[in-house]
Amino acid sequence: MPELPGVSGSGTLPVLPALRELLPRGGLARGSVLAAAEFGLLCLALVAGASADGAWCGIAGIPEAGVLAAAGLGLDAERTLLVPDPGPAWPQVVASLLDGCEIVLLRPPARAPAQVRQRLEATLRRGRGVLLVAGDWPGAQVRLRVVTRRWTGLGDGHGRLRACCAEVVADGRGEAAMTRTRWLWLPTEDGRVAVADPLDLPFDIPADLPFAGTAPALRAVSG
Amino acid sequence: MSARRPAARRPVARGPADEPLPRIMVVTCPDLHSPDLHSPDLHSPDLHSPDLGGAGPSGPDLVAARLLEQVIAVVTGFCPKVEVVEPGVCAFGARGPARYFGGETALAARIIAAVANLGVESRVGVAEGLFAALLAARAASPASPARAAGSNAILVIPPGETTGFLAVQPVSVLADQDLAGLLKRLGLGTLGDFAALPARDVASRFGDAGECAHRLARGLDSRPLAALPPPADLSVAQEFDPPEARAEPVVFAAKALAMRLHAGLAARGLTCVRVQVRATWADGRESSRLWRHDGLLSAAGVAGRVRWQLDGWRSAPGDRAPGDRAPGDRAPGDRAPGDRAPGDRAPGDRAPGDRAPGDGEANAGQYPEGGVAALRLAPDLLVRAAGQQLALWGETVVSDGVARAAMRVQAMLGHEAVLRPVIGGGRDFASRATPTPFGEKREPGLAADRPWPGRVIGPAPGVVYPAAREAEVTDDAGEIVTVSGRCDLSAAPARLAVPGEPPRRVTGWAGPWPLSERWWDPGAARRRARFQLATDDGRAWLAVVQDGRWLIEAGYW
Repeated sequence: MPELPGVSGSGTLPVLPALRELLPRGGLARGSVLAAAEFGLLCLALVAGASADGAWCGIAGIPEAGVLAAAGLGLDAERTLLVPDPGPAWPQVVASLLDGCEIVLLRPPARAPAQVRQRLEATLRRGRGVLLVAGDWPGAQVRLRVVTRRWTGLGDGHGRLRACCAEVVADGRGEAAMTRTRWLWLPTEDGRVAVADPLDLPFDIPADLPFAGTAPALRAVSG
Repeated sequence: MSARRPAARRPVARGPADEPLPRIMVVTCPDLHSPDLHSPDLHSPDLHSPDLGGAGPSGPDLVAARLLEQVIAVVTGFCPKVEVVEPGVCAFGARGPARYFGGETALAARIIAAVANLGVESRVGVAEGLFAALLAARAASPASPARAAGSNAILVIPPGETTGFLAVQPVSVLADQDLAGLLKRLGLGTLGDFAALPARDVASRFGDAGECAHRLARGLDSRPLAALPPPADLSVAQEFDPPEARAEPVVFAAKALAMRLHAGLAARGLTCVRVQVRATWADGRESSRLWRHDGLLSAAGVAGRVRWQLDGWRSAPGDRAPGDRAPGDRAPGDRAPGDRAPGDRAPGDRAPGDRAPGDGEANAGQYPEGGVAALRLAPDLLVRAAGQQLALWGETVVSDGVARAAMRVQAMLGHEAVLRPVIGGGRDFASRATPTPFGEKREPGLAADRPWPGRVIGPAPGVVYPAAREAEVTDDAGEIVTVSGRCDLSAAPARLAVPGEPPRRVTGWAGPWPLSERWWDPGAARRRARFQLATDDGRAWLAVVQDGRWLIEAGYW
């Protein structure tokens, strides 16, 4: 997606380079809601880019958020507010957080009634923040999920986890209606995110083969 | 009593601001001055629960707060203008009351006896200036109530000898322990050695903090008072309509008021030595107290003092310290002799009726008299702000908007509900990010720059459970996989079952990695064997075996 000059600065919050192609405008559109199917590294990676760029980030309702991994992805822990247990008044908590933070990662403790959702979305449109929901959010402009995931480095009683190759699918409404699929290293061996070259994958893409790597021994290289 | 220190004892004249200090009497209650109470602001347990007002007794802190309130009430009976230096320590100008009660030692003995009636031990020190008086009170040996009047809990530094008393004190009495350590390494063991240094050199070498300490060591006030009267009323106030009976909204308002107060002072380049907190109750009475500020208290610190002050007015039945009185049975005659002596209330010191704890104590943990109707913070003793570097070396500055948002959530959920993580060291992923309540000093729980052998290397997991989840790991035969004391596995893990989720097949695993931590500390000692497991849904897990049970500590997804 080509980036319109000036738009990425004002209309969107930046994301990590590897995630740009998944999002319609190459960033998180301000005032919008994004939904990830479940909480995980993908959510942390989505907020890390904005945080690294100087935005304050709120994480609500996720006591198990791995701050260390997020910091490895680029999240600035100093500019992060954690509200592990927002309780029954979570919509007010999230609205308050959106006043101070440009991006809020939320896992609602309960299914949000439509009225609550609409009120939060209105708050969001008035401000310039982005709400990233880990879970279901019917009005989300962009929905992301990890459909396939394979860890490398672990054998049968030996080795250690090294990197994970994940297939991420994004779809949504409006300009995000087109489904985008990308293979990512989430995380790489040093805890970052990178676009995965299909030829590097530790397994064949189309056939969903079991973990024990069947990568081709030889491959064509360009040049 | 109005002794003047000989001018010759002051090594360097500093101009008209270096007035001889007045005689100060300090009363300390060592029992009420526990480390917990030292900074009451953020450690009071019921600050954290959302429904504070209705919450019942909150343990020793609240008891101590009420007891201290009573002690201050007793001391206020001798001298109306009592300044609370910190919880458990109060001070007042000794000259007038001492004259009235027949001398400093006699006054001190009467105070100790009166406080002993509450079942609280106290010590009294008298000297020129607050710093020396504090040291004198600390040096006075502990009193027992029986021989309180016997006076070895009293140390009166005779007029004119304060400088000499200070000179023999070790530098470690200075509040700034970094500076004290540095001075000691420089071979300056006592305040006398330090005071002998030229003030100008001290200022250029140790900066503002060093200059303050140097002035204290020389028997001067830490900062000269600003000569000019404040051009405007710098106090800030907030009214509560309807009156607020719960603690949390009042403390929250106090935090906002303190920020306004600080902003107003900063705009004029001033800071205050003391802050007066005055709460007006719904029935029109007032609770007023002076707290030592020295320009060092944060907004949260001031809010903590407000909580402390108001807590003292709250009563919780069945939660009394020895010496505490049941509500209602504190008739004036029950008090210490000299309490509420009408003659010593100097006009203008305080509004009448500002001091009546106990009489108004209601029940059930609520604020008495229907709640707080107004809260007012007034700066007292303005001094020039020497500046406090807040964001030094890249510490992130919290912008107003963020602070407002965080404090609003704190007002809703409690102080510890909003956290800022600090990345530190440690062997567990959970301990490597220390969550710190917003507004508190951020320090990692474990130092990050240590090697921490035994930590799991590789990418960090995205999901770190604050409390490990129960799990079952079974082998091909369906038996639970066990780990022997020598780290032998009973069989290879084949299935992972986490309650609430479908069982998964294990496609790859590594371990066991034994970890024996803190064996020297029976409370914290842990022996674990760690595994990494990959399952057929593409996820990976950090599992441990501890005491024969499988637990999931973190998830890699």
